[in-house]
Order: sequence, then structure tokens, then C-alpha cells
Amino acid sequence: MATQTDTSTTTTTETLRPTRWLPEDLWVHAALVGSIFLMAMPLLLAMIMSTQTTSEVYEVTNLGIGSQGLANYWTALTEYNFATYLFNSAAMSLVIVVGKVSLSLLAALALVYYELPYERGIFMFILLTLLLPVPVRIVPLFQLLADLGWTNTLLALTGPYIASATAVFLLRQHFMSIPASLVETARLDGVGPLRFLFRVLIPMSRGMIAGVCVITYIYAWNQFLWPLVAVTDKSSQVVQVGIRYIQGSAQAGLTRWGLIMAAAIIALLPPLLVLVALHRPLLKTFAIQQK
Amino acid sequence: MASQRKLYDSRLQAALLLLPTFVVLTAFLYYPGLATFRLSLYETLFLGQQTAWNGLGNFVALATSPAYRNSFVLSVVFAAVVVLGTLLVSLLIGYLLFDVGTRSSLYLVAAIWPYALPPAVAAILLSFLLHPNLGIVTHYLELVTPWTLDWFNDGPQALAVLAIIAVWKQLGYNIIFVVAALNNIPQTLTENARLDGVGRLRMLWRVYVPLISPTLLFLVVMNTIYAFFSTFPLVDLLTSGGPSGWTNLLIFKLYRDAFEFSNLGSASAQSVVLFVLVAVLMYVQIRVTDGYAQYGA
Repeated sequence: MATQTDTSTTTTTETLRPTRWLPEDLWVHAALVGSIFLMAMPLLLAMIMSTQTTSEVYEVTNLGIGSQGLANYWTALTEYNFATYLFNSAAMSLVIVVGKVSLSLLAALALVYYELPYERGIFMFILLTLLLPVPVRIVPLFQLLADLGWTNTLLALTGPYIASATAVFLLRQHFMSIPASLVETARLDGVGPLRFLFRVLIPMSRGMIAGVCVITYIYAWNQFLWPLVAVTDKSSQVVQVGIRYIQGSAQAGLTRWGLIMAAAIIALLPPLLVLVALHRPLLKTFAIQQK
Repeated sequence: MASQRKLYDSRLQAALLLLPTFVVLTAFLYYPGLATFRLSLYETLFLGQQTAWNGLGNFVALATSPAYRNSFVLSVVFAAVVVLGTLLVSLLIGYLLFDVGTRSSLYLVAAIWPYALPPAVAAILLSFLLHPNLGIVTHYLELVTPWTLDWFNDGPQALAVLAIIAVWKQLGYNIIFVVAALNNIPQTLTENARLDGVGRLRMLWRVYVPLISPTLLFLVVMNTIYAFFSTFPLVDLLTSGGPSGWTNLLIFKLYRDAFEFSNLGSASAQSVVLFVLVAVLMYVQIRVTDGYAQYGA
């Protein structure tokens, strides 16, 4: 539906736009390419530097591909634990994405398709947690997980993140947009709730679920403060805090900036690739969130 | 309409479906959230070994502490710069994207990718490129401008570097919403202005900005929360609050008081202050959006 409106919009614009705007269009493209280049420049420079040796990095204006090739990446992965950090980040993100989406699907099913007493109150109970981001509860949360003996475990990294107001809200909105006639068919067929969820709701919500997965994944992967607090054992740490470690340990003598840049790019690539691959469902999901 | 969707009436099933979400929210959000309020009324003694009732003492101590007031003022200034900077740049880039038409999704992805950028990565990349001695950006900046970059020692410069990183990272999210809002404007509202041959920038300020102001307000709220809450990695990796307290943002001070100095009572009181901030922002957001929704309908 969205694509349809898009095309109709652009065609009207083009027919209405007088021809004298054409040279200006070129200017607009130039400005756009310029700003996109500026935004990407730190990344491109870091990629170049990540191939250089320390002495090449210290020739500040040296912008050639360095003699290290991908060796800095290999060093970060093997000698500086980044393979372990990557694995831990992947495990943490996977548990958070699967857990959050599953729990939110169940909750949204109950909210939309069940005759519920205090439905509004229940929904508010879930929504009000938006007022409690991690920094607001970080001290008791840390104590709680320490009391549970969860420090340094995957449970501590994921537990506080596997339920969320945003995911329940988005899925609820989407379920309410599914035509009621479909519900009527399900009623006549006497379909049970779990069958209804798996055979009707999930297939009809693929785009929305993909969007929620992307948002959740990027959010989880980029966490820094909570893993720093909840995990003190290096072998259980995630890749974002790994950047903090490599920054500290590469300082002896001349700072190995090439190595640090390689490590940073390793920590960036997974969410970047996911965004590029799945930007369509992500954009659609954001469009709903705003309404 | 709504009742048509009510397929099932088993309260037991509904309770079971909601149970996992309720358990997690209660255990990891509501319980620690409320405990923060309780802890904020206690004084921490002997590095967290013991606590004693302190009433509002922690809050009084914060209000009279020069260090906390410094952090508070810095954070407000920092947030203002980050919010305005992000909005301005995203408006311009978003408008350019809208102008060339979003059919080229290559442009769009090339502009929104910082949404996926981890704050820690953003911080470490720019800390190197803007390094006072080794940064290549520093080198060329000092060639073409009269400035000298010295943010290891210069407080205001350090705060500015953090703000640049914070804006860069937040551009993707903002551009997504600006472009979506611009594409949602009905053509009929802007056709006349276009035919009148109004210049592009004037169109942006006079026509488009007022039309998408609900989205811009939403972004102001989200960016403010971001500037206060999500900028911890920037301070932690670049400046550790220095030089001489110039970048000791509230979130960083909270972390240090809690986990380096074990001053849990004071840290919890600082969390309560941040809670009040989120609550006010959310309230403003809801009030204004409701107002617009009614106005629009």
C-alpha cells in the first residue's frame, strides 16, 4: 500500500514541477551526496587506518591502504578476545530478540483477542514501564541480580530486556489493524488461541515482526552501560565493552590505533549489515510507532 | 468494532499469556524502579556495607553540591546543543532526501545507517580522528582554520567533541522520522506554494516545518532522553568526566557514585532526578500529541 502512494506522489510532483527547476535538481543531488559523504567519512577513514601499522598511523596524513591488510582484525579477534566478545554479543542479542518478541506476541494476543477485565489498566501497567529506563533503576537492579547470583551470566545481560512496552505496543497496534472479518472466520472454525497465533496472526504480521526484531537487535547489540555493570569477567563480556578493554590495553607505548579501529569496525559490522538488509520492515515499523 | 475482535473469553488463558511479560516487568522494572526511591532515602556508610535512614538528606546534599550542580548545568547545555544540532542537520538532509524522492532507497540507506551505529564505536572512531596530535581531521582542521584542537585539556572543547559524536550517532534515527513525516504531507497542502516558485529553503521553513511540527516535537523529546541517558559510552571512552569536570554529565556521575565510590544512596537519589526528567518529557509529549490529534480530527 505504501509503495502505491509513493509512486502516485512522485508522479504528481514531477508533472507539476516546472522545467526551470531542473538545474537546481542537480544542486540538490550534489548537496545530498556531499552530506552523505560527510556522514560516512569517519567510517571510511577508520577502515583505511584499520589496515595500517602503528607507524603508518602516526604519519597523520597517510591515507593509503596500510601494509597490515586484515592482520589487525585477526589480532583483535584472536589475541584481544574479540572472537569471544562477538560470540557473547550474538548470544545476548539472540536471547533478547527471541525472548522479547515471543513474550510480546503472547501479551498482545491476550490484549487484543481476549475478553479482559481492566484491559486499559493492564495496558497502562505495561506502557508505564517506559518511564523506567535502565539508569533510573540501575543500582537496585544490580543488587537484585547479584543476590540472584546472576552476575557474569547471560541471564543478567538478557533478563532485564526480554519484556518491553514498545514491542507489546507495536504488535498490539498491528493486530488491531488485521481485518475483523478474518477473526470472524477463525471464530466460525473454532480455532484455538495458539493455532490462531501461529496460523493466522504470525503469518499476517511478518513485516511487523521483522521490524520489531531489527529494532530490538540493534538496541541489544549496542548496549554498553548495563553489560559494563553486570559483567566483570572478561570471558563473559560483550563486544561493545570489549572496545573499552582494547582501548585500555593497546595504550602501552605507542597506542595501536590501527588495531583499535579494526576492533571498532568488528563491533559495528553486524548491526550495520542487519540495517542494510532489513531497512524496509524497519522503516514501516517506525511509521506505525509514530502514529 | 473492538468487541468483534474478542475471540476468546477464558480469563485463565489470558492470564497465562500475560504472565511472562508481567513477571519480567515486575521483577526487573517495577521492583528495582520502586527500590530506587526507597534507597534514595538512605545514606550509604562504609562503602556500601551499611545504610542508615536519611530522609531527604541525599536530595539536599545533591542540591547543595557544587559538583552535582555543575553536572546538572552541563547536561542541560549538552542536551540543548545535541537536540538542536541533530534536528537541524536531520531536517536539512531529510528535506534533500524528500526533494529527490525516496524512490532511490540507496540514498535513504546511505543517510540512515548511523541508526545502527553503536555509541561506543562512534565514540572511539571520532576520538581517534579528532585526536589532538594524531587525528587526520584535526590536522586538516588546523590547516584551514585558526583553531587548535586541545580537548584533552580544554573543557569546552571536550564537551563540544562529545556533542559532535552524539549528534552524528543520532542522525539516522531523526532522518528516518523526518523523511516519513515529509512524505505523509498531502500534496494539496504544498502545491500552491510550489507553483508560486518559492525557494527551497523558504519552503522548508515556512511550509514544511510547521506541517511536520508534531514529528519534530516527538524528536525533541526522544533526543533529549537520548542526550541525558545514552551518552554514557562517549564520556566513559573519551574524557572520564574531565578535564576538571567539564564533561561530567549526570549519567556518568551517577555511574561513578554508584559503582566506583559505592555511594548507593546518593546514586539512587540521582536516579530519581533522572526519573522526574523522563516523566516530565513523556507528559509533555503525550499532552501535545493529544492536542494535535484532536486539532487534526
